[in-house]
Amino acid sequence: MPKDKFFKVIENKVHPNEKLVSTHCSYCGMQCGMNLRVDTTTNKIIGVEPRYDFPVNLGKMCPKGVTAYQQVNHPDRIQRPLIRTDASLKGTAEGFREASWEEALDLIVSKFKELQHNYGKDTLSVYSGVSMTNEKCYLTGKFARVALQTRYIDYNGRFCMSSAAAGLNRSLGIDRGSTIPWTDIHQTDCLFLAGSNAAECHPTSMFRIWEVQNRGGYLIVADPRETPLARRADIHLDLRPGTDLALANGIVHLLIKNGHIDEDFIRNHTNGFEETKEVVATFTPEYVSEITGVSVEKIVRAADIFGRAPDAIVMFCRGVEQQSKGTDNVSAYTNMSLVTGKIGRPKSGVATLTGQGNGQGGREHGQKADQLPGYRKLDNPEHVREIACAWGIPVEEMPQKGVSAYEMFQLMKDKTIRSLYLLCSNPVVSAPNLNHVRESLKSLDFMVCCDFYLSESAEYADVVLPVTTWAEDDGTTTNLEGRIIRHRQAQEWFAESKPDWWIQIEIANRMGRGQFFTHLKSPQDIFNEIRQVSKGGIADYYGVTYEKIDQNNGVFWPCREEGDEGQPHLFLDKKFYHPDGKAKICALPYRPPAEEPDEEYPLRLTTGRVVFHYLSGNQTRRIPFLKDMYPDPLLEVHPKTATRYGIEHDELVTLKTRRGEAQYRVKVIEAIREDTVFVPYHWGKEQSINLLTNPALDPYSKMPEFKACAAKIIKHKHGGVRHG
Amino acid sequence: MGKQVLYIEMDNCIGCRSCLAACTQCGGHDNRNRNYVLDVDPFISRQTIPLMCFHCVNPACARSCPAQAIQIADNGAVLSALVEKCIGCQNCTIACPYGIPKFDEEQNLMYKCDLCYDRTKEGIPPMCASVCPTNTLQWIEEAELEEKRAQIPLANGKWTASHDPDVLEGETNVKISLPGILQGKQKLF
Repeated sequence: MPKDKFFKVIENKVHPNEKLVSTHCSYCGMQCGMNLRVDTTTNKIIGVEPRYDFPVNLGKMCPKGVTAYQQVNHPDRIQRPLIRTDASLKGTAEGFREASWEEALDLIVSKFKELQHNYGKDTLSVYSGVSMTNEKCYLTGKFARVALQTRYIDYNGRFCMSSAAAGLNRSLGIDRGSTIPWTDIHQTDCLFLAGSNAAECHPTSMFRIWEVQNRGGYLIVADPRETPLARRADIHLDLRPGTDLALANGIVHLLIKNGHIDEDFIRNHTNGFEETKEVVATFTPEYVSEITGVSVEKIVRAADIFGRAPDAIVMFCRGVEQQSKGTDNVSAYTNMSLVTGKIGRPKSGVATLTGQGNGQGGREHGQKADQLPGYRKLDNPEHVREIACAWGIPVEEMPQKGVSAYEMFQLMKDKTIRSLYLLCSNPVVSAPNLNHVRESLKSLDFMVCCDFYLSESAEYADVVLPVTTWAEDDGTTTNLEGRIIRHRQAQEWFAESKPDWWIQIEIANRMGRGQFFTHLKSPQDIFNEIRQVSKGGIADYYGVTYEKIDQNNGVFWPCREEGDEGQPHLFLDKKFYHPDGKAKICALPYRPPAEEPDEEYPLRLTTGRVVFHYLSGNQTRRIPFLKDMYPDPLLEVHPKTATRYGIEHDELVTLKTRRGEAQYRVKVIEAIREDTVFVPYHWGKEQSINLLTNPALDPYSKMPEFKACAAKIIKHKHGGVRHG
Repeated sequence: MGKQVLYIEMDNCIGCRSCLAACTQCGGHDNRNRNYVLDVDPFISRQTIPLMCFHCVNPACARSCPAQAIQIADNGAVLSALVEKCIGCQNCTIACPYGIPKFDEEQNLMYKCDLCYDRTKEGIPPMCASVCPTNTLQWIEEAELEEKRAQIPLANGKWTASHDPDVLEGETNVKISLPGILQGKQKLF
């Protein structure tokens, strides 16, 4: 690819007695390039240096990235396997003793076998995450289905990316989060960002986003809060949480009405336009304004700018997706690109900003309840046959489709599931309706947790296995562009920790299923199996090799042959991935959030992130710099709302919904709607906002409605303002 | 390569404090940041601005130092106090109009931004500008600075940045573009 406008040749600073290991950040989907500083005498990671040559971030890093290396040799690392000695202390950090790997693995396997003997294969479950490498994601799916032979596997991507996946699949026939490389963003003429606080969640996108305006392009932001991104937008569509579908339909209505549509493109490359035209006909600016609370003038102006823009990119993120109609929201915003034909060419397209590090790759390799590697589906007999054949198991041994992440907790409660193998996730903080989740975990007969810190979820486990961090192992991830990149091992495995893939192969052996796993002796072996198994699937990695990734600074999938360079831009041939090659413009009637404010709960609660923390905060809350910058969650309230409740800045109040309550200090700020309050979700225990959130699920993606529910503030009798 | 300068576009700042985190990673900074970020009006908006040492051409900190412990490097960087000379009087912390020099009680020593002199002398950008994800902090050549100056002029022919200000400390080696750089920006369509 040609050099970027921002690219500069800069030599790296190398300190004496040190080497630099070029790798990528462990956190969000940007997967920024960085160099880890390794002391060559101790072989320990001691710092970070920018990596100026990686085209996505060109050396830039957010505060999480700068300090990410500090988690590797952190004093909180678990050094040896832990076995619970006192079941009555479940849910606390107490009641564990250290054990050898032999003892821990023996205990796990004997419990698994005993439970399966008594209650059937499906009594076990696996719950994983997508902040791990493609190799681990793939192996986890195979581990559940081949080693444990259970149908119950799902992952925390249900809370993160599944609505984007479902919406993009429905509209475009393929779920690659971005149809363009990130290096296109600053070159477009109009950037429409919906439900994305990119400044705090994907900060290293910002130099490109600001450049759109620096060039005279437009920035349109749809968000209930005046985020650092919305602050500088040309138009800030300050909608009520949970009303995106009406806004998107309203803009499509205006694009059609104003003649800003590409009739040739619609005729030749899409289906569904007429039905959609009919549905959006009622979404006049006045009607949309009534639902969303955004002024008519702003809606009209946004549609006009988007319609007139020679090139435009629509981007969306969790604000849009974490709703009980998240899938519809994604398709509705994608409609904007499809009716105007602004997709399938450079500088125009759609993109979702991936939250988790490998949110993209993690949903391609078969760790979803309904999915097999290469985006194959479990309800497609041909797909099942292909993968069973690749794995060397009889077709009838392939477990059936399971249930989604949140639904698994219900099955634990009713004892359908009696054991959980948890890795790379902290659902006790990140799932909705936490009181229910905590009870579910307590009701398990046996729980294993793999983590490198004793997370809030690990505190519910019977066995905790210490695993390596991202900087102690090789592997690949697929970033938010669809670019497959290399993570490199920078130091040896910490203390007695082991990589997840090593543990899973060891358990498979002991379960008597070793023959399907023992040929996998390194991450590269696993990657080569991904290549073979994904061949012919939609997410085809066959042509990607470690060497090619190194040569090209990453390879975009699909990459079908060894000579194939990969596809930074999708649909350049205007062929979409539905069988007829056409995209689908979706007719989507509006429905309100699952829970609307009423007299008892008059406010709308929405949740999100702050720039200093990542997901459940298990990692970032332990990094001194990040902790100091944002130590506790704050409840953002508009000054007029604060006056109405008689509460002051910094006052401790109780926030309550139908599912739970928690106490927060108030942050009074005008940059939020009067009818909405906001709390970030990175904290555990009694500070978890997910004690309050609504588990209403999207019917297609099974993603919960984190972004909108009814809430009320309860003022404490004695105020509680902190002075001095 | 021509002379390079630190250039700040205040309006771009999102308050992420990457510059602070990165500052702690520079050699000799002892894990302490020497730059700061301010919330402009925290009850109203999320507007933040970085506060960096401006590396004044005629710096008050150095002028006020009775021990001549504050040296000015060849690239204009105003360095931290020299260990062997600093007498811990804290004149510099009082003299600086921007509140940049800080005092380390344990070491009885002033410390401040040194423009990552160990990097900038080798043509490597300072850590803060390297990592700044928003291009608020940029390490650019003087020719680029001239281009920016031409792009965003005020009606009086001057620009929205700190050009030869007569106030405070006069000419600085770090250049600033104040909020409002997009005012009057010609739109593409």
